[in-house]
Amino acid sequence: MAEHNTDKNEGFHDAEHHIVAIPLYLMVFGILVFGTILTSIVARFDLDFIFPGANTLLALLIAFTKMTFVALIFMHVKYSSRLIWLTAIAGFFWLAIMFAFTMQDYLTRAPGVFNR
Amino acid sequence: MENVNAANVGNIRPEPKVNYLTNGFTAKSWLLTKDHKRIAILYLLTVSVFFALGGIYASLIRLELLTPASDLLESGTYNRVFTQHGVLMVFFFLIPSIPAILGNFLIPIMIGAKDLAFPKINLLSWYLFMAGGGLTLYALMLGGVDTGWTFYTPYSTTFSNSYVMLVGMGIFINGFSSILTGLNFIVTIHTMRAPGMTWFRLPLFVWAHYATSLVMLLGTPVIAITILLMALERLAHVGIFDPAIGGDPILFQHLFWFYSHPAVYIMVLPGMGVISELISNFSRKKIFGYEFIAFSSIAIAVFGFLVWGHHLFVSGQSIYAGLVFSFLSMVVAIPSAIKVFNWTATLYKGHISYDTPMLYGLFYIGLFLIGGLTGLFLGAMGLDVHLTDTYFVVAHFHYVMVGGSVLAYLGGLHYWWSKITGKLYSEFWSKISAMLVFVGFNLTFFPQFILGYMGMPRRYASYPEEFQVLNIFSTAGASILAIGLVMPLVYFTYSIFFGEKAPANPWLLPGLEWRTSSPPPTENFEETPIVTWEAYDFTEESGLDLEDARNKYKVTV
Amino acid sequence: MNTHEHYHPPGLQHQFEDMAQQAESDAIGMWMFLVQEIMFFGGLFTVYLVFRSKYPMAFAAGSNHLNEWLGMANTLILIVSSLTMALAVHYAQLGKRNAQVVLIILTMLFGVAFLGIKAYEYAEKYNEGIVPVLGLNAKTDKNIAAKDEHYAANPESQIRNSLDFSGSVENNPDIHAENGQAEHEEYVNPRGDFIWKDITLANKALAEGYLTDSEKIGYMANGEISQAKFQDKVRIFFWIYFAMTGLHALHMVIGLGVMSWLLWKAWKYTYTPEFYAPVEMAGLYWHFVDIVWIFLFPLLYLLGRHFGGHG
Repeated sequence: MAEHNTDKNEGFHDAEHHIVAIPLYLMVFGILVFGTILTSIVARFDLDFIFPGANTLLALLIAFTKMTFVALIFMHVKYSSRLIWLTAIAGFFWLAIMFAFTMQDYLTRAPGVFNR
Repeated sequence: MENVNAANVGNIRPEPKVNYLTNGFTAKSWLLTKDHKRIAILYLLTVSVFFALGGIYASLIRLELLTPASDLLESGTYNRVFTQHGVLMVFFFLIPSIPAILGNFLIPIMIGAKDLAFPKINLLSWYLFMAGGGLTLYALMLGGVDTGWTFYTPYSTTFSNSYVMLVGMGIFINGFSSILTGLNFIVTIHTMRAPGMTWFRLPLFVWAHYATSLVMLLGTPVIAITILLMALERLAHVGIFDPAIGGDPILFQHLFWFYSHPAVYIMVLPGMGVISELISNFSRKKIFGYEFIAFSSIAIAVFGFLVWGHHLFVSGQSIYAGLVFSFLSMVVAIPSAIKVFNWTATLYKGHISYDTPMLYGLFYIGLFLIGGLTGLFLGAMGLDVHLTDTYFVVAHFHYVMVGGSVLAYLGGLHYWWSKITGKLYSEFWSKISAMLVFVGFNLTFFPQFILGYMGMPRRYASYPEEFQVLNIFSTAGASILAIGLVMPLVYFTYSIFFGEKAPANPWLLPGLEWRTSSPPPTENFEETPIVTWEAYDFTEESGLDLEDARNKYKVTV
Repeated sequence: MNTHEHYHPPGLQHQFEDMAQQAESDAIGMWMFLVQEIMFFGGLFTVYLVFRSKYPMAFAAGSNHLNEWLGMANTLILIVSSLTMALAVHYAQLGKRNAQVVLIILTMLFGVAFLGIKAYEYAEKYNEGIVPVLGLNAKTDKNIAAKDEHYAANPESQIRNSLDFSGSVENNPDIHAENGQAEHEEYVNPRGDFIWKDITLANKALAEGYLTDSEKIGYMANGEISQAKFQDKVRIFFWIYFAMTGLHALHMVIGLGVMSWLLWKAWKYTYTPEFYAPVEMAGLYWHFVDIVWIFLFPLLYLLGRHFGGHG
């Protein structure tokens, strides 16, 4: 019964047997190592002259980049159905809801917080 | 259309020799079963026990409140009684009731699958539920818990000397049962649909469960980690929830309500799914605005995550955050209202028959409307300052939880009882019972709106004498409600042993679950069905001739 | 009924029609599980966010005290283990059993190495007296006189401790023994309490004017930075550090359990190019745990380096 799944657009079956070439894995590995060293180096420099919290933002950007590579290549999201993409993004979207809606309370709790 | 007497309709297709109930009689064949229908029965039995226990605690509360003085229960005991009523009803009855019993039983059948995608995980869910429930019951036997079902810090972390840890652990474990059930449903609905069963041919019951499962999956882990932090805080006293040393008790409330407000939608959404089925099927009419109802379920699930701060209006949350949460609480009313409008529009010019499930469906619409609208009162930040922690809140959420979820659960149980057990219950007694539940419920909780508006606070064992008359009404109503709720236990049990045998399709309805025998075989269908009809299709295209079913009734799968 | 009744591929469960449907279900199920894991860790990240925004200097002080090089080594170890795991999936897809087995073993070895380093770090914290739970630190009670000095200098900490943990002094009769020795003890910590004395970062922030208002409320008493109050906030950092790395380590332990089972199955030639879903699912889990650490490393170990000084 080949027709049990009616979602033709999910396109999972074609992707199922995609085999990632080893050089690509090694390249991602290189990027991850580089990112780790980079994040450690930039943490030493005080970037507050750009804007307060620039260090944290940069560290998180590097971490996000690393995560993206792990997810796309190591976890095969790049070769997966749209549903998997949606799932991965939804996870972070809900995390963002939790952060944003909790912080909207804390950041507006009292005047003067964060030097305002 | 006349109500077709179920017993008169012949079921042409021969009965399968072995159905899921007769497929093995040993204890092992039940306790180690991977059949979603048997697991649903296991849930039905155990959840009913928790419901009964929660009901006993509710009776104690109402008896205590019969008189103004704290005479039946001393106030410390009263704290434990209402806490345990809340914990049992919320975590061990309302959350698992419709999804784990009716959803478990019906989703695979409704989509034409043999089972859920992960039958072993389904069984594991039940065992986790039992472990969590067992721990909680153990704690109750030791002496219980008195923090309120919300476990607010720092009371739960520092001061309470009741069994917070044990109950917390019970809820933590039970949470994973809920997560795994949700995960199972989502995967099943995505991958297990029968040929031709497109997304927009799914019964709305399945859509509602899809939305519910999203909430279970995204929300429940947060309560798990919150309970864990609360327990660690109780053990180690590091102070993250203790303002005296720089912690923040409101952080606990944020994390708690991040789950527990969406959890309200875990309780309500499946009920809405049941009601969509009941209203459309007993109006013998295609549901009005199918897509709107389907997407409003998803919208409720998503918006439900954005409103939790309306539980914190008076707790010290910033005014700005309160404003945003208040506004979003109004927004979440829109998809709920869409559903109510569509249900009433479905009734218009329908061929309505007042069978017991439909009675529950109609009661639900009225009660949910009251519960939802009073929710808007409470969501308005200014008014909430007056109404917070009064009986108005209690009445509001009981109108949503009991008037909504419990009535939908009972309606669904009556509706699918013949499918689950293969027997017909007494139509006469079930109608009496439904009436008693409706009258008793309103008499119990409507006076509480007035009490709350007059300022009677919740969670106290004693109250000023001028509130007594309304409290007597409330307790009297609770007695009627209790009788109405015990009756199904009797006539359902009676029907299992002495009830008339149910045909496959007692009400002549087009849904896929009515196209297999009652009770269904273990694999649900003799052959994998091929779906060629739309949901709630009462025309010729459903493949069933529902106009003159007695002669022409046939099953095409 | 279709022909699959008769031909039943190995690994196909009864509720599915074919392997493709099963593989799809497994993949979606695993991703849904990972989403719930994101939310599970998310609660802790929210706690981190709230307290770091409230007490950035206490977090910087605590973070600077962590051993950055061990954290970095662990990051690299996890990245290597992710690579070996990805390659294990690769060879499972190709049906090469030996390479699969070797790579699974390598992944497990790196996992164990990670946990070993983590355990060493925890032991270090235990010996230094910065585990944020009373009694869970090395008890250095050589010098009762110095202890008295410590409490005399910080009456608040004594009062608070006796309030919170009343009775625990009595439970430690050896506090009163061995008086008058070892003046040079680095720590004097008779009850294994959390002790944090370095307030230089807070003072520096106060002097240079970037101490926030909420921090001033949180750290200061009588117009100056109070060691006792600062200590409470650093304690919150270490609590979050232990909670997050502890939960992460727990996931590593579970991952190692899954890998042992996988190794056993791979050893027995279970996985073929048609049926390798369990390897892939275990891989997804392993990579997810790696991703969590990718965030934990900068957020816990590096957050305060640019403020200079050390913890």
